[in-house]
Amino acid sequence: MTLPYNATIFEHFRHPRNYGALPSPDVAYEDVNPLCGDRIRMELKIGADQLIAMARFRGDSCIISRAAASILTELVQGRPLREVVVLPQNELVIALNTPLRPARMKCALLPLHVLQIGIGVYLREC
Amino acid sequence: MGVNLMHDFFQQLEQIRHLKRRISLATLVNTLGTSPRKEGAKMWVEEGGDILGSVTIGGCVDAYVIEQSEAVLAEHAPRLIELPLGDEDAWELGLSCAGTIEVFIEPLSAEQSQPFDFYAVLQSHIARGASGALLTCLDGVTMGAKLLLLGDGNTLGSLGDTRLDQEACQAALSHIDQGVSRTVSVDLPHRTVRVFVEVHTPPATLIIVGASHVAMVLVQMARPAGFQTIVVDSRPRFATPERFRDADQLLVGIPSEIVKTLPLSSVNAVILVAHDYKYDLPILRHVLSSSAGYIGVLGSRRRGEGLLKLLQEEGLAAEALQRIHVPIGLDLGGRSAPEIALAILAEVVSTRYGGSNLSLSQQRKRA
Repeated sequence: MTLPYNATIFEHFRHPRNYGALPSPDVAYEDVNPLCGDRIRMELKIGADQLIAMARFRGDSCIISRAAASILTELVQGRPLREVVVLPQNELVIALNTPLRPARMKCALLPLHVLQIGIGVYLREC
Repeated sequence: MGVNLMHDFFQQLEQIRHLKRRISLATLVNTLGTSPRKEGAKMWVEEGGDILGSVTIGGCVDAYVIEQSEAVLAEHAPRLIELPLGDEDAWELGLSCAGTIEVFIEPLSAEQSQPFDFYAVLQSHIARGASGALLTCLDGVTMGAKLLLLGDGNTLGSLGDTRLDQEACQAALSHIDQGVSRTVSVDLPHRTVRVFVEVHTPPATLIIVGASHVAMVLVQMARPAGFQTIVVDSRPRFATPERFRDADQLLVGIPSEIVKTLPLSSVNAVILVAHDYKYDLPILRHVLSSSAGYIGVLGSRRRGEGLLKLLQEEGLAAEALQRIHVPIGLDLGGRSAPEIALAILAEVVSTRYGGSNLSLSQQRKRA
């Protein structure tokens, strides 16, 4: 049987990295894809020099969305907030390393969308 | 009693107390043979002649209970009556064979506040999601004495004997767990005393995940059948009060996290009708470790097998997976949303009462 996604996607779906909650996160934001129902919450702990010290996610979402969230938490670890808040979508899509139909692009980008809004709110309030 | 009937019972009892009316309360405490009503069925007769409820399904037997209730009102003393149902009674009541029922009839008035107080405590206990039982002594000089046993083990009142209280509470606990009212016999050193254990549990709840069109009809059907409903979804555009006017709770958020906060007792059913593995899988992982009375998933046989295979690969025991009803519902042959909702509700009810899932006429032909 041909699998619709590559092994990386399945691996992150079955064994998501950084899944869970942070105690007293500095950044916490949750959003939903209003039609398909993917719902993701992203949380960050910010360290010195506005670097991302820890990233966690949780939620009920499809394979693509969950894998993208898992990969995203690894991508942003240790990076400056100001860099992540404008992280190009393409960087996450390339990291997913799988062909995505246009209809599933929203699923893949939901975690990044949630994270960037959350960071935006945090930076405005700082 | 279903959610509405139980709510009505407590409400009406409070009204009677408030209006200082005297009533005679008849409770079906024992059935031998087939009976159309379950132990705990109630009927009361007011001093003005008004009648509410029934202990059978009407007919001459109820008429006799009404006569006896009027006598109890006049004498102001409780009595236990045994009614052997003759073949003609049985036929009239729709029984397949004659049996015997026992009905306990007791006078209630605002001056004797204990039963009202006990029911009020029970009501608030149930509202907090806990269970309890009102124990009534059916024999001897303390006939009618009451003891309230709450699910946490606390008690109020007495059946008139410390040893009897202890033994009866011990026997009642298993009935509270099962959610069924029964008469139990308690052996004391020189006598056997019968005690009616009237169990009250929180109303059975359907926890419906997925604010779909099937869920909308299911919620409408569930209430008259005596169920409370909680609808869970992550999509605020679907889980709206306009779409779910009859739902007791509408919860929007991460569904698997919401379900973890809900009571998953044996009287509750978890119904997954989102038709989406992203909800189904994390929720199933959690509810399989609970004592939820029914777990069902909407989906084809193929989809169901896929879900079960995934869970099995994660290490969930085959025995636990047997609890999942997938495809959900009884095979009624329908395909529309209301027909699917009906099939789901039918399976929930059948699971709750240990039904055969066969038509009654089919059973008759086989007998």
